[in-house]
Amino acid sequence: MSDPLLSVRDLRKSFGEEEVLRGIDFEMERRDVQVLMGPSGSGKSTLLRCVNRLSEPDDGTITLDGEDTAAMDENDLRRQVGMVFQGFNLFAHLTARKNVSLGLRRVRGFSKSETEERAEEELERVGLADQADSYPAELSGGQQQRVGIARALAMDPKLLLFDEPTSALDPELIGEVLSVMGELADDGMTMLVVTHEMGFAREAATDLLFLDDGTILERGPPTQLFESPEHERTATFLRRLTDLEAGQHG
Amino acid sequence: MAERESRTGGSIDVGGRYDPIEVLGILAAALFWGWLGLRWLNDWFGGLFVREGQAFLPPSTFEFLPALAFAVEFAPELAAGVWLTVLLTIVGIALGFPIAIVLAGARVYGRTTRWVALGYIELVRGTPLLAQLFVLYYGLGLSSFIRELPGVGTVSVIPEQAVWVAMIGFTINSAAYQAEYLRGAIESVDPGQLRAARAIGLSQIDGIRYVVLPQALRYAIPGWTNELIYLIKYSSLAAFITVPELFNRASSIASENFRYLALFSLAGLFYLALVLTATNLTSRLEDRVAIPGLARRDERLRERSQ
Ligand SMILES: Nc1ncnc2c1ncn2[C@@H]1O[C@H](COP(=O)(O)OP(=O)(O)O)[C@@H](O)[C@H]1O
Ligand SMILES: [Mg+2]
Repeated sequence: MSDPLLSVRDLRKSFGEEEVLRGIDFEMERRDVQVLMGPSGSGKSTLLRCVNRLSEPDDGTITLDGEDTAAMDENDLRRQVGMVFQGFNLFAHLTARKNVSLGLRRVRGFSKSETEERAEEELERVGLADQADSYPAELSGGQQQRVGIARALAMDPKLLLFDEPTSALDPELIGEVLSVMGELADDGMTMLVVTHEMGFAREAATDLLFLDDGTILERGPPTQLFESPEHERTATFLRRLTDLEAGQHG
Repeated sequence: MAERESRTGGSIDVGGRYDPIEVLGILAAALFWGWLGLRWLNDWFGGLFVREGQAFLPPSTFEFLPALAFAVEFAPELAAGVWLTVLLTIVGIALGFPIAIVLAGARVYGRTTRWVALGYIELVRGTPLLAQLFVLYYGLGLSSFIRELPGVGTVSVIPEQAVWVAMIGFTINSAAYQAEYLRGAIESVDPGQLRAARAIGLSQIDGIRYVVLPQALRYAIPGWTNELIYLIKYSSLAAFITVPELFNRASSIASENFRYLALFSLAGLFYLALVLTATNLTSRLEDRVAIPGLARRDERLRERSQ
């Protein structure tokens, strides 16, 4: 535990009067996959956004690879921390290939041929080499999200943030995205994932964090939290989730 | 894929056959613009084919149809006015465009610059174009300043000062209107895309440049078409600061022969031809740059209303 990749200390964030994050503490080792769960409005998205400074924290320290993120150039920080969005947020006027290429060209300064090659590789990695010239509106939701993942991967991030990557998807398309994420986890990518997919958490997560009302109420290996949660609120939340999944798949 | 191909370019080939209406339209446009082009060449080079302002064929050829003979007699002089109408419109749109991009960007993303842009836009949109032209022409000494510039009014290809004042006026005016259309278009691009651009490490300005603007410019085409149509028609206000454009020519000929109805009808036909050409071109442009998989805005609206 001496040299964590990400360390978050006493992170606080308010919007107006409302304190959304009320002292968040956690660490991530390299190759960790931490899953963040919690009721809607509990501050999960805000927490992720504070990590790549899409939202500026009010208080606390976040260090990435030993460096204080508050002191880093924000664009440089974001290059190193990839983000995958619930709504995909693909660039609508660009093909899948160009979506992946834009950052390579304009952020990393790759040459045309390097860009071409690397974009191809990333699309291959998410199983979309054959859709490289399709536009987002021509792809299914699952394919769009995989392009979103490829776009983030192309920046060679040290850490990948996922904000409910499958909750906008039709149930039959969730699997293809989760399996790409599972492969990334197997490859050793460090991932902080907001998701309510219990199956993914059970299989891929090193740790599960339960966020409630702006604080981390409970944390631990997923099996422990699923089987014997300490807090009643965690238990209730997870039970409701289990019922929901049973209803969906059964 | 097949759908994408049918969208690009306003092809006249419909399932292997030609759409007769579109073919006719293209022929009419070619005839009109070919004739206009020849008229302009003729007049610029001091009577290349016939005397300046004289018809290519004597109007008496068409004696059997008096309306046509009348049109043939006066169309050449109006054609010289059409040149200025077209010039003012294109200059206003083209020079106003980059200014509009800056104004719209400031309006949406700026802090203090937002208020400067807002002030400019509201001032221009809140006052009559004619008043703006008068202020520039009579009020600011702009015309006497331009008159002193080398070449103005003495070299024949350089327009006289009133035309310059009008071009400046239309640029200032059109920039404000285009900025508003563009602002609406920028705001209709999903902000999540700019967030995604920032999330891979692009700066705000690069995110706007590579992600927001390319889409906003596409969405702005319908509004921009409106602006083009307005400008074609409102360029007639330049007549009031002595610019001899289409409207000015029609009214000065009519004040000599008193055939107001006939001359303004003929001028109206010219305006109509300009407007039809403009809408046709922008519609083709919109087709050409349409994003595959996304319906054009008017198609989306049509679908919704069904
Ligand atoms: N940009 C913002 N401005 C104001 N309030 C916000 C903003 N972003 C989030 N919030 C508020 O913060 C709270 C937590 O939001 P969020 O982090 O999105 O929760 P979650 O992702 O867990 O659903 C919500 O009450 C939300 O309304
Ligand atoms: Mg959220």
